[in-house]
Amino acid sequence: MVDANKDFKKRLQKITFKALKATLKGVFFYAIYFVLSMFLAPISEIVPGFQRMVETFVMVYIFLIIVGELTSGTIFQHFLNAAKALFVILYLILSFKGGIMGITFQNINLIVDLRLFLIIAMLLSLLGFAKSILQAINFLNEKTEYSHI
Amino acid sequence: MRIPIRIIGIATAFFWIILIVFSVSAAYSVKDLQFDFGEPQIGVTLDNKILFSLPITIINKGYYNIGFFNVTTEVSDKEGFTITQGTTFIPIIKKGEGITTTHNATIDVNDLLQSNQNYLFNNTELKILEVVSMRIAEVIPVQASTNLSIAWGAPLYNFTLGEIEYTVSNQTHLRAIIPISFENHAFFDLTGSIQICMYNSTNMLVDEGQTIIEARQNSPYRGYIELYVLTAEMTETGCFEVYFLTPFFSYGPLVIPYG
Repeated sequence: MVDANKDFKKRLQKITFKALKATLKGVFFYAIYFVLSMFLAPISEIVPGFQRMVETFVMVYIFLIIVGELTSGTIFQHFLNAAKALFVILYLILSFKGGIMGITFQNINLIVDLRLFLIIAMLLSLLGFAKSILQAINFLNEKTEYSHI
Repeated sequence: MRIPIRIIGIATAFFWIILIVFSVSAAYSVKDLQFDFGEPQIGVTLDNKILFSLPITIINKGYYNIGFFNVTTEVSDKEGFTITQGTTFIPIIKKGEGITTTHNATIDVNDLLQSNQNYLFNNTELKILEVVSMRIAEVIPVQASTNLSIAWGAPLYNFTLGEIEYTVSNQTHLRAIIPISFENHAFFDLTGSIQICMYNSTNMLVDEGQTIIEARQNSPYRGYIELYVLTAEMTETGCFEVYFLTPFFSYGPLVIPYG
Protein backbone atom coordinates (compact mmCIF):
# COMPACT_ATOMS: atom_id res chain seq x y z
CA MET A 1 0.00 0.00 0.00
CA VAL A 2 2.84 2.31 0.98
CA ASP A 3 4.78 1.29 -2.16
CA ALA A 4 1.79 2.03 -4.37
CA ASN A 5 1.40 5.43 -2.74
CA LYS A 6 5.10 6.17 -3.23
CA ASP A 7 4.88 5.04 -6.85
CA PHE A 8 1.87 7.27 -7.46
CA LYS A 9 3.65 10.23 -5.87
CA LYS A 10 6.71 9.60 -7.98
CA ARG A 11 4.63 9.43 -11.16
CA LEU A 12 2.75 12.60 -10.25
CA GLN A 13 6.02 14.35 -9.56
CA LYS A 14 7.37 13.17 -12.88
CA ILE A 15 4.28 14.31 -14.80
CA THR A 16 4.26 17.65 -12.99
CA PHE A 17 7.93 18.14 -13.78
CA LYS A 18 7.31 17.27 -17.45
CA ALA A 19 4.34 19.64 -17.63
CA LEU A 20 6.36 22.39 -16.00
CA LYS A 21 9.26 21.83 -18.37
CA ALA A 22 6.88 21.79 -21.36
CA THR A 23 5.23 25.00 -20.19
CA LEU A 24 8.58 26.70 -19.66
CA LYS A 25 9.81 25.59 -23.09
CA GLY A 26 6.59 26.81 -24.69
CA VAL A 27 6.76 30.16 -22.88
CA PHE A 28 10.45 30.54 -23.75
CA PHE A 29 9.79 29.79 -27.41
CA TYR A 30 6.86 32.20 -27.45
CA ALA A 31 9.03 34.89 -25.82
CA ILE A 32 11.61 34.45 -28.56
CA TYR A 33 8.86 34.75 -31.17
CA PHE A 34 7.50 37.83 -29.42
CA VAL A 35 10.88 39.57 -29.51
CA LEU A 36 11.57 38.57 -33.12
CA SER A 37 8.08 39.63 -34.24
CA MET A 38 8.91 43.20 -33.22
CA PHE A 39 11.84 43.14 -35.62
CA LEU A 40 9.71 41.57 -38.33
CA ALA A 41 6.96 44.20 -37.97
CA PRO A 42 8.15 46.24 -41.01
CA ILE A 43 7.80 43.15 -43.22
CA SER A 44 4.35 42.37 -41.83
CA GLU A 45 3.24 45.82 -42.91
CA ILE A 46 4.39 45.24 -46.49
CA VAL A 47 3.65 41.54 -46.99
CA PRO A 48 0.00 40.67 -46.43
CA GLY A 49 -0.48 37.38 -44.62
CA PHE A 50 3.09 37.23 -43.35
CA GLN A 51 2.03 37.74 -39.72
CA ARG A 52 -0.58 34.97 -39.97
CA MET A 53 1.91 32.65 -41.65
CA VAL A 54 4.44 33.10 -38.85
CA GLU A 55 1.76 32.84 -36.15
CA THR A 56 0.45 29.55 -37.54
CA PHE A 57 3.98 28.19 -37.67
CA VAL A 58 4.71 29.25 -34.10
CA MET A 59 1.42 27.81 -32.80
CA VAL A 60 2.00 24.39 -34.37
CA TYR A 61 5.66 24.39 -33.37
CA ILE A 62 4.88 25.26 -29.73
CA PHE A 63 2.19 22.56 -29.70
CA LEU A 64 4.73 20.00 -30.96
CA ILE A 65 7.30 21.19 -28.39
CA ILE A 66 4.79 20.81 -25.52
CA VAL A 67 3.52 17.41 -26.66
CA GLY A 68 7.10 16.27 -27.33
CA GLU A 69 8.11 17.32 -23.84
CA LEU A 70 5.11 15.60 -22.23
CA THR A 71 6.00 12.37 -24.01
CA SER A 72 9.67 12.60 -23.06
CA GLY A 73 11.18 9.32 -21.97
CA THR A 74 9.07 7.43 -24.50
CA ILE A 75 9.60 6.57 -28.15
CA PHE A 76 6.83 9.05 -29.05
CA GLN A 77 9.07 11.94 -28.09
CA HIS A 78 11.42 11.03 -30.93
CA PHE A 79 8.55 10.52 -33.35
CA LEU A 80 7.27 13.96 -32.45
CA ASN A 81 10.72 15.47 -32.87
CA ALA A 82 10.97 13.88 -36.32
CA ALA A 83 7.46 15.18 -37.10
CA LYS A 84 8.58 18.62 -35.94
CA ALA A 85 11.54 18.58 -38.33
CA LEU A 86 9.34 17.39 -41.22
CA PHE A 87 6.73 20.00 -40.36
CA VAL A 88 9.37 22.76 -40.57
CA ILE A 89 10.53 21.51 -43.99
CA LEU A 90 7.01 21.22 -45.42
CA TYR A 91 5.82 24.48 -43.92
CA LEU A 92 8.82 26.37 -45.28
CA ILE A 93 8.36 24.90 -48.77
CA LEU A 94 4.63 25.64 -48.82
CA SER A 95 4.71 29.09 -47.25
CA PHE A 96 7.75 30.34 -49.14
CA LYS A 97 6.37 28.96 -52.43
CA GLY A 98 9.62 27.32 -53.45
CA GLY A 99 11.76 30.19 -52.21
CA ILE A 100 10.73 32.94 -54.62
CA MET A 101 8.12 35.20 -53.09
CA GLY A 102 6.35 37.85 -55.08
CA ILE A 103 3.92 40.53 -54.04
CA THR A 104 2.31 43.42 -55.85
CA PHE A 105 2.11 46.68 -54.00
CA GLN A 106 0.68 49.76 -55.73
CA ASN A 107 1.77 48.83 -59.27
CA ILE A 108 5.15 47.69 -57.97
CA ASN A 109 6.05 44.02 -58.24
CA LEU A 110 8.36 42.95 -55.48
CA ILE A 111 10.24 39.66 -55.75
CA VAL A 112 12.33 38.29 -52.91
CA ASP A 113 14.54 35.29 -53.59
CA LEU A 114 14.76 33.27 -50.38
CA ARG A 115 16.03 30.05 -51.95
CA LEU A 116 19.37 30.21 -50.14
CA PHE A 117 17.61 30.71 -46.80
CA LEU A 118 15.20 27.91 -47.63
CA ILE A 119 17.98 25.49 -48.55
CA ILE A 120 19.90 26.19 -45.35
CA ALA A 121 16.73 25.90 -43.23
CA MET A 122 15.81 22.63 -44.94
CA LEU A 123 19.30 21.20 -44.46
CA LEU A 124 19.17 22.11 -40.77
CA SER A 125 15.72 20.55 -40.47
CA LEU A 126 16.98 17.41 -42.21
CA LEU A 127 19.82 17.34 -39.70
CA GLY A 128 17.21 17.64 -36.93
CA PHE A 129 15.21 14.84 -38.54
CA ALA A 130 18.32 12.63 -38.72
CA LYS A 131 19.05 13.45 -35.09
CA SER A 132 15.52 12.35 -34.08
CA ILE A 133 15.91 9.07 -35.96
CA LEU A 134 19.26 8.46 -34.29
CA GLN A 135 17.72 9.28 -30.93
CA ALA A 136 14.89 6.83 -31.59
CA ILE A 137 17.36 4.10 -32.56
CA ASN A 138 19.46 4.87 -29.50
CA PHE A 139 16.37 4.85 -27.29
CA LEU A 140 15.28 1.41 -28.55
CA ASN A 141 18.84 0.14 -28.30
CA GLU A 142 19.22 1.27 -24.70
CA LYS A 143 15.78 -0.13 -23.83
CA THR A 144 16.69 -3.51 -25.29
CA GLU A 145 20.03 -3.54 -23.45
CA TYR A 146 18.29 -2.54 -20.20
CA SER A 147 15.61 -5.26 -20.52
CA HIS A 148 18.38 -7.89 -21.19
CA ILE A 149 20.21 -6.88 -18.02
CA MET B 1 25.93 7.22 -29.34
CA ARG B 2 24.62 9.84 -26.98
CA ILE B 3 27.60 12.16 -27.46
CA PRO B 4 27.38 12.33 -31.29
CA ILE B 5 23.63 12.93 -31.01
CA ARG B 6 24.23 15.72 -28.52
CA ILE B 7 26.89 17.25 -30.77
CA ILE B 8 24.47 17.13 -33.73
CA GLY B 9 21.84 18.78 -31.52
CA ILE B 10 24.19 21.54 -30.37
CA ALA B 11 25.46 22.19 -33.92
CA THR B 12 21.92 22.28 -35.31
CA ALA B 13 20.76 24.68 -32.58
CA PHE B 14 23.82 26.89 -33.15
CA PHE B 15 23.24 27.15 -36.89
CA TRP B 16 19.48 27.71 -36.39
CA ILE B 17 20.25 30.62 -34.06
CA ILE B 18 22.70 32.12 -36.56
CA LEU B 19 20.22 31.68 -39.42
CA ILE B 20 17.28 33.19 -37.53
CA VAL B 21 19.26 36.10 -36.08
CA PHE B 22 20.77 36.88 -39.48
CA SER B 23 17.43 36.63 -41.33
CA VAL B 24 15.54 38.75 -38.82
CA SER B 25 18.25 41.41 -38.56
CA ALA B 26 18.59 41.55 -42.36
CA ALA B 27 14.82 41.95 -42.74
CA TYR B 28 14.74 44.55 -39.98
CA SER B 29 17.57 46.56 -41.46
CA VAL B 30 15.59 47.01 -44.69
CA LYS B 31 13.58 49.68 -42.91
CA ASP B 32 16.77 51.69 -42.45
CA LEU B 33 17.41 51.79 -46.17
CA GLN B 34 16.49 55.09 -47.76
CA PHE B 35 15.90 55.47 -51.46
CA ASP B 36 15.35 58.88 -52.92
CA PHE B 37 14.49 59.07 -56.59
CA GLY B 38 14.81 62.66 -57.69
CA GLU B 39 12.94 64.53 -60.37
CA PRO B 40 13.50 62.85 -63.75
CA GLN B 41 15.12 65.17 -66.25
CA ILE B 42 15.07 65.12 -70.01
CA GLY B 43 17.89 66.60 -71.98
CA VAL B 44 19.98 66.18 -75.09
CA THR B 45 23.40 64.56 -75.26
CA LEU B 46 26.33 65.94 -77.24
CA ASP B 47 25.63 63.44 -80.00
CA ASN B 48 22.00 64.63 -80.18
CA LYS B 49 20.30 61.75 -78.44
CA ILE B 50 17.46 62.27 -76.03
CA LEU B 51 18.70 61.72 -72.50
CA PHE B 52 16.52 60.67 -69.56
CA SER B 53 18.33 61.08 -66.29
CA LEU B 54 17.10 60.09 -62.88
CA PRO B 55 19.08 61.13 -59.81
CA ILE B 56 19.12 58.35 -57.20
CA THR B 57 20.27 58.69 -53.61
CA ILE B 58 20.66 55.58 -51.47
CA ILE B 59 21.44 55.84 -47.78
CA ASN B 60 22.20 52.53 -46.10
CA LYS B 61 21.69 52.87 -42.36
CA GLY B 62 21.05 49.13 -41.98
CA TYR B 63 23.25 46.54 -40.31
CA TYR B 64 24.55 45.03 -43.52
CA ASN B 65 26.04 46.07 -46.83
CA ILE B 66 23.87 46.21 -49.91
CA GLY B 67 25.35 44.40 -52.88
CA PHE B 68 24.72 44.39 -56.61
CA PHE B 69 22.46 47.44 -56.65
CA ASN B 70 21.14 47.68 -60.16
CA VAL B 71 18.65 49.98 -61.85
CA THR B 72 17.47 49.13 -65.34
CA THR B 73 15.17 51.19 -67.52
CA GLU B 74 13.74 49.67 -70.65
CA VAL B 75 11.77 51.87 -73.00
CA SER B 76 9.59 50.08 -75.53
CA ASP B 77 6.79 50.93 -77.89
CA LYS B 78 3.21 49.68 -77.75
CA GLU B 79 4.13 46.55 -79.70
CA GLY B 80 6.86 45.69 -77.22
CA PHE B 81 9.79 46.65 -79.47
CA THR B 82 12.66 47.73 -77.22
CA ILE B 83 13.76 51.24 -78.13
CA THR B 84 16.41 51.72 -75.51
CA GLN B 85 17.79 50.26 -72.33
CA GLY B 86 19.80 51.94 -69.62
CA THR B 87 21.50 50.29 -66.66
CA THR B 88 23.16 51.69 -63.57
CA PHE B 89 25.12 49.30 -61.41
CA ILE B 90 26.65 49.89 -57.99
CA PRO B 91 28.64 46.87 -56.78
CA ILE B 92 28.37 47.62 -53.07
CA ILE B 93 26.79 50.16 -50.73
CA LYS B 94 28.49 49.79 -47.40
CA LYS B 95 26.56 50.06 -44.15
CA GLY B 96 26.36 53.57 -42.84
CA GLU B 97 27.20 55.04 -46.23
CA GLY B 98 25.18 57.03 -48.72
CA ILE B 99 25.58 57.05 -52.47
CA THR B 100 24.23 59.47 -55.03
CA THR B 101 24.22 58.49 -58.64
CA THR B 102 22.42 59.37 -61.83
CA HIS B 103 20.66 56.74 -63.83
CA ASN B 104 20.72 57.55 -67.55
CA ALA B 105 18.90 56.18 -70.54
CA THR B 106 19.31 57.61 -74.01
CA ILE B 107 16.96 57.44 -76.96
CA ASP B 108 18.22 57.74 -80.49
CA VAL B 109 15.30 59.14 -82.49
CA ASN B 110 16.69 57.52 -85.64
CA ASP B 111 16.42 54.11 -83.94
CA LEU B 112 12.92 55.00 -82.86
CA LEU B 113 11.95 55.81 -86.45
CA GLN B 114 13.22 52.43 -87.59
CA SER B 115 10.52 50.72 -85.55
CA ASN B 116 7.75 53.12 -86.48
CA GLN B 117 7.89 56.30 -88.54
CA ASN B 118 4.65 57.54 -87.08
CA TYR B 119 6.60 58.78 -84.07
CA LEU B 120 7.45 61.83 -86.16
CA PHE B 121 3.88 62.75 -86.96
CA ASN B 122 1.62 61.25 -84.29
CA ASN B 123 1.57 61.58 -80.54
CA THR B 124 1.65 58.24 -78.81
CA GLU B 125 2.76 56.52 -75.61
CA LEU B 126 5.98 54.78 -74.74
CA LYS B 127 6.15 52.02 -72.17
CA ILE B 128 8.82 52.13 -69.50
CA LEU B 129 9.83 49.12 -67.46
CA GLU B 130 11.78 50.17 -64.39
CA VAL B 131 13.59 47.43 -62.49
CA VAL B 132 15.50 47.96 -59.26
CA SER B 133 17.37 44.97 -57.87
CA MET B 134 19.83 44.48 -55.05
CA ARG B 135 21.14 41.92 -52.61
CA ILE B 136 20.26 42.65 -49.02
CA ALA B 137 23.21 41.78 -46.80
CA GLU B 138 24.87 40.82 -50.09
CA VAL B 139 23.07 37.45 -50.09
CA ILE B 140 19.28 37.94 -50.32
CA PRO B 141 18.26 39.01 -53.83
CA VAL B 142 15.34 41.45 -53.96
CA GLN B 143 13.83 42.91 -57.10
CA ALA B 144 11.19 45.58 -57.52
CA SER B 145 9.76 46.41 -60.91
CA THR B 146 7.08 48.68 -62.22
CA ASN B 147 5.55 49.57 -65.55
CA LEU B 148 5.03 53.17 -66.50
CA SER B 149 3.98 54.93 -69.63
CA ILE B 150 5.06 58.33 -70.88
CA ALA B 151 3.54 60.46 -73.56
CA TRP B 152 5.55 60.79 -76.74
CA GLY B 153 5.00 64.11 -78.46
CA ALA B 154 5.53 64.06 -82.21
CA PRO B 155 8.03 66.68 -83.38
CA LEU B 156 6.22 67.09 -86.71
CA TYR B 157 2.65 66.72 -85.50
CA ASN B 158 0.04 67.48 -88.14
CA PHE B 159 2.67 68.14 -90.81
CA THR B 160 0.93 69.52 -93.88
CA LEU B 161 1.86 71.20 -97.13
CA GLY B 162 -0.71 73.85 -97.90
CA GLU B 163 -2.27 74.94 -101.17
CA ILE B 164 0.45 75.87 -103.69
CA GLU B 165 0.39 79.49 -104.77
CA TYR B 166 1.66 80.09 -108.29
CA THR B 167 2.79 83.45 -109.57
CA VAL B 168 4.41 84.21 -112.87
CA SER B 169 8.11 84.83 -112.39
CA ASN B 170 9.10 85.44 -116.00
CA GLN B 171 8.10 84.21 -119.47
CA THR B 172 9.39 80.70 -118.86
CA HIS B 173 9.20 80.19 -115.12
CA LEU B 174 6.58 80.11 -112.41
CA ARG B 175 7.17 80.88 -108.79
CA ALA B 176 5.53 78.22 -106.56
CA ILE B 177 5.12 78.93 -102.89
CA ILE B 178 4.46 75.82 -100.80
CA PRO B 179 3.24 76.59 -97.28
CA ILE B 180 4.51 74.26 -94.56
CA SER B 181 2.94 73.87 -91.15
CA PHE B 182 3.30 71.54 -88.21
CA GLU B 183 3.32 71.59 -84.43
CA ASN B 184 6.33 70.53 -82.41
CA HIS B 185 4.88 68.41 -79.62
CA ALA B 186 8.27 66.94 -78.72
CA PHE B 187 10.09 67.78 -75.51
CA PHE B 188 12.99 69.27 -77.43
CA ASP B 189 13.35 72.31 -79.64
CA LEU B 190 13.44 71.36 -83.27
CA THR B 191 15.96 73.00 -85.56
CA GLY B 192 17.08 71.81 -88.95
CA SER B 193 16.00 71.96 -92.52
CA ILE B 194 13.25 70.70 -94.75
CA GLN B 195 14.00 69.90 -98.36
CA ILE B 196 11.22 69.53 -100.91
CA CYS B 197 11.56 67.98 -104.36
CA MET B 198 8.68 68.61 -106.73
CA TYR B 199 7.85 65.97 -109.34
CA ASN B 200 5.33 66.32 -112.13
CA SER B 201 2.91 63.63 -113.29
CA THR B 202 5.64 61.98 -115.42
CA ASN B 203 7.85 61.66 -112.33
CA MET B 204 10.23 64.26 -113.63
CA LEU B 205 11.99 66.44 -111.06
CA VAL B 206 10.67 69.92 -111.65
CA ASP B 207 12.57 71.75 -108.92
CA GLU B 208 13.78 71.43 -105.39
CA GLY B 209 14.23 73.80 -102.52
CA GLN B 210 14.84 73.88 -98.84
CA THR B 211 14.14 75.99 -95.83
CA ILE B 212 15.47 76.24 -92.31
CA ILE B 213 13.04 75.34 -89.57
CA GLU B 214 13.11 76.37 -85.97
CA ALA B 215 10.25 75.27 -83.77
CA ARG B 216 10.34 75.50 -80.02
CA GLN B 217 8.82 72.66 -78.03
CA ASN B 218 5.02 72.74 -77.88
CA SER B 219 4.76 75.48 -80.43
CA PRO B 220 3.43 75.60 -83.98
CA TYR B 221 5.59 76.27 -87.02
CA ARG B 222 4.50 78.02 -90.16
CA GLY B 223 6.78 78.62 -93.11
CA TYR B 224 7.07 78.13 -96.83
CA ILE B 225 9.39 76.99 -99.56
CA GLU B 226 9.78 78.82 -102.82
CA LEU B 227 10.34 76.86 -106.02
CA TYR B 228 10.97 78.20 -109.53
CA VAL B 229 9.59 75.81 -112.06
CA LEU B 230 9.57 75.73 -115.82
CA THR B 231 6.04 76.46 -117.02
CA ALA B 232 6.38 73.82 -119.69
CA GLU B 233 7.23 71.13 -117.16
CA MET B 234 4.36 71.88 -114.85
CA THR B 235 1.46 69.45 -114.69
CA GLU B 236 -1.75 69.66 -112.73
CA THR B 237 -0.88 66.63 -110.65
CA GLY B 238 2.33 65.25 -109.24
CA CYS B 239 3.99 64.74 -105.94
CA PHE B 240 6.39 66.24 -103.46
CA GLU B 241 9.17 64.38 -101.78
CA VAL B 242 9.93 65.90 -98.43
CA TYR B 243 13.19 65.31 -96.57
CA PHE B 244 13.82 66.33 -92.97
CA LEU B 245 17.30 66.91 -91.66
CA THR B 246 17.67 67.78 -87.97
CA PRO B 247 20.33 67.06 -85.36
CA PHE B 248 17.98 64.47 -83.84
CA PHE B 249 16.88 62.62 -86.93
CA SER B 250 17.05 62.43 -90.68
CA TYR B 251 13.97 61.29 -92.47
CA GLY B 252 12.75 61.13 -96.00
CA PRO B 253 11.35 60.94 -98.50
CA LEU B 254 7.84 61.61 -97.32
CA VAL B 255 5.75 61.49 -100.47
CA ILE B 256 2.81 63.92 -100.60
CA PRO B 257 0.76 64.15 -103.79
CA TYR B 258 -0.56 67.44 -105.07
CA GLY B 259 -3.22 68.49 -107.53
